Amino acid sequence: MAGHDSMRCGEFRTTYRADTTIFPTPWSRNFAILGVAVAATCPLFLEPYYLNLMIQIAYLGIAALGLNILVGFTGQISLGHSAFFGFGAFASAWLNNVWGIPVFFAIPLAGLWTTAVGMIVGIPAGRIKGLYLAIATLASQFILQDFFARAEWFTGGASGALAEPFSIFGYTFDTDKSFFYVALTYLIVAYVAGANLIRSRDGRAFVAVRDHYLSAEIMGVNLTKYRILSFGVSSFYAGVGGALFGHYLGFVSVEGFDILLSIQFLGMIIIGGLGSVMGALMGTAFMVLLPEVMEGLVSLMGSTDWGSAKWFVDGVPYMKEAAIGLAIVLFLIFEPDGLAHRWRLIKAYWKLYPFSY
Amino acid sequence: MQRKFLTLLATTAIVGVAGTAVAKDIPVGNLIDFTGNTAVVGKVYGQAKIDAMNYVNANGGVNGKLLDFETVDYSYVVPRAIATYKKWKGKVVAIQGWGTGDTEALISFVAKDKIPYFSASYSGHLVDPMGKGPKTKKAAPYNFIMGPSYSDGARALVQWAAEDWKKKGGKGKPKYIHMGDNHPYPNAPKEAAQEYAKELGFDVLNAIQYSLAPGDFKAQCLSLKESGANYAFLANTSGSNISLLKSCDTVGVDVQFMANIWGYDENVMKAAGKAADGVVWVMGAAKWGDGVPGMKTVEAVSKMSDPSGNTYRAVHYMRGVCSVFYMKEAMEWADKNGGITGPNIKKGFYKQANWTPKGLEGVCPAATWTPDDHRGFNKVFIYQGHVKGDTAAGSVGELMGNGTIGMSKVGESVIPRKPEWLGW
Repeated sequence: MAGHDSMRCGEFRTTYRADTTIFPTPWSRNFAILGVAVAATCPLFLEPYYLNLMIQIAYLGIAALGLNILVGFTGQISLGHSAFFGFGAFASAWLNNVWGIPVFFAIPLAGLWTTAVGMIVGIPAGRIKGLYLAIATLASQFILQDFFARAEWFTGGASGALAEPFSIFGYTFDTDKSFFYVALTYLIVAYVAGANLIRSRDGRAFVAVRDHYLSAEIMGVNLTKYRILSFGVSSFYAGVGGALFGHYLGFVSVEGFDILLSIQFLGMIIIGGLGSVMGALMGTAFMVLLPEVMEGLVSLMGSTDWGSAKWFVDGVPYMKEAAIGLAIVLFLIFEPDGLAHRWRLIKAYWKLYPFSY
Repeated sequence: MQRKFLTLLATTAIVGVAGTAVAKDIPVGNLIDFTGNTAVVGKVYGQAKIDAMNYVNANGGVNGKLLDFETVDYSYVVPRAIATYKKWKGKVVAIQGWGTGDTEALISFVAKDKIPYFSASYSGHLVDPMGKGPKTKKAAPYNFIMGPSYSDGARALVQWAAEDWKKKGGKGKPKYIHMGDNHPYPNAPKEAAQEYAKELGFDVLNAIQYSLAPGDFKAQCLSLKESGANYAFLANTSGSNISLLKSCDTVGVDVQFMANIWGYDENVMKAAGKAADGVVWVMGAAKWGDGVPGMKTVEAVSKMSDPSGNTYRAVHYMRGVCSVFYMKEAMEWADKNGGITGPNIKKGFYKQANWTPKGLEGVCPAATWTPDDHRGFNKVFIYQGHVKGDTAAGSVGELMGNGTIGMSKVGESVIPRKPEWLGW
């Protein structure tokens, strides 16, 4: 989002530079820094269970941001994002296992490899749009998934591949506590880079392609280049997210990267807010936490009389799945701009309390 | 009023804490599949493990210590199993596992963390603790499989097929075909059985793939028909095999089907009806209601979840009970010899030869584990299923009772523990 929707009274921006800052006020910047500092202290007092959820949010959030750049900012569509996520995971494990490249370097390298694959898959985007592009990316999802299951030399075939834990200078990040910092670092770098990309010339070109491709072309934006570039950037994020996932879990298997995960990625950015950097993270957090919160609610109800009834206990897995579907539908109806928009409204409400103008 | 409320709150808190503070001493992880691709057999086996552990706790525990087990349904999704393992790591002393994909993925993890892992996957890749076998990919020092290995089971079926071919007076080379998904579980015995079939003079045809998730497999059945195979090995689990048998019945395939240990049972006979008639498959323990001394214990175990005692338990149930009882006895030994830790439980498995857990005589076949060979069970029973009428009416128990469905033992072989077959 270039520029800010609402300007406060007495605020004047006299340069484009001031209009496109990431943080509109010094306080918002301080809060962001404070937020990171608080997050960094989490491993000191949080249980591994919560750290695990936060790590999940981090690596999925990185991949979701990639998809948001493609879908939210460039207006393309991809139903194959999880295949890129998986490719990154396999590529990083392979580079490390077979070529002995340290995990530290294997992760960004895997990202670059995934970029290359993503750009190849994105080539049809230069010619086709909308539903047709959706089906083209769906094809890539299936082709890559089948490749994962068969390419024994690369992925270990159906048995999957082991992935070594992340390590630098002989220190191994193999616990939730230590890997949290790896994930947090990657998350911050990815999101700062993402926010800056959108402020750049290329980022504006993405948005122009989305808003009106004809006008964009007339203004000199090379549509084919930017569409394919967008696929590349999006795949890079997916690849890095996937590589982090692989080295965190310690094992990569073809099963995790099915069409369902691709659709969940789409759900994350729709719930979080299409075309919003922070929205991608909010949506990911929502999608990761929703099943856990449901689980918690269910076990609370399980302690009541009717909650331990057989029909209820048996129905719980379905209710959990249904809740995710329901959440997406409700968001589409009541909050089409996603959590990011809702967050802005909440901020505005408190800023202007009690007299909104 | 407020005070009353506070007292109430405090009492609830105390009761709550006291409730969880009951002496539960031995943390055990229990991985099950009730909702995934292998749920049809997973429900039977998972329930057996839960019942057996509850039974152990209700009957004196492990030298008085109770099993504190946490059951997680991972839907047969490998990454979910690994994530669960990471949660358990450092807490549990042993794990009762399930599938091949996850167990094989966890080999090096459990070896590093020294957690004995009792899998319902009997993959041949899990039986070589030292990595001495010529075809072993990875040493699996902390894995214990609770039945004859898939490869040994498939070898026994191949042996049976060779004899059957002779008995029937078949001319020329019999044709053998492997059928299964491209997945660690169906893949596990594939090469071992194909190799052995070649050795015994079979013509080994190209494998046919059908998914672990049940579906319409008529296309695969047509390929099978065209291939002219005489003996088809079904490597998937029973849910998928029900669909395959039905599809092949529709297409009209004349093949002797042979199923892996998880590929056939009473539920298949009921669900597939006549299509399931005549299938031979691998068995690793007694069946429900057999007149063996240990069946009384199994019936008592079954009552943990079915106090009426009326539920019929499919063949996999006995193996689930055996798995827990072997673990329990190894824990008892560990308890007396330095405490219940992973390495001690592992040692406990080497203390007896021809070992059957107390109370399960005749149910679990005698097993022998040694520090360099984890092929505990090497006796394979081969059974044949019979379907005589309409299976739509009545439950599995009723159908077994009135003889509509039934099974008979058609063979038994002891697979030698050849060094070149270790870990394969």
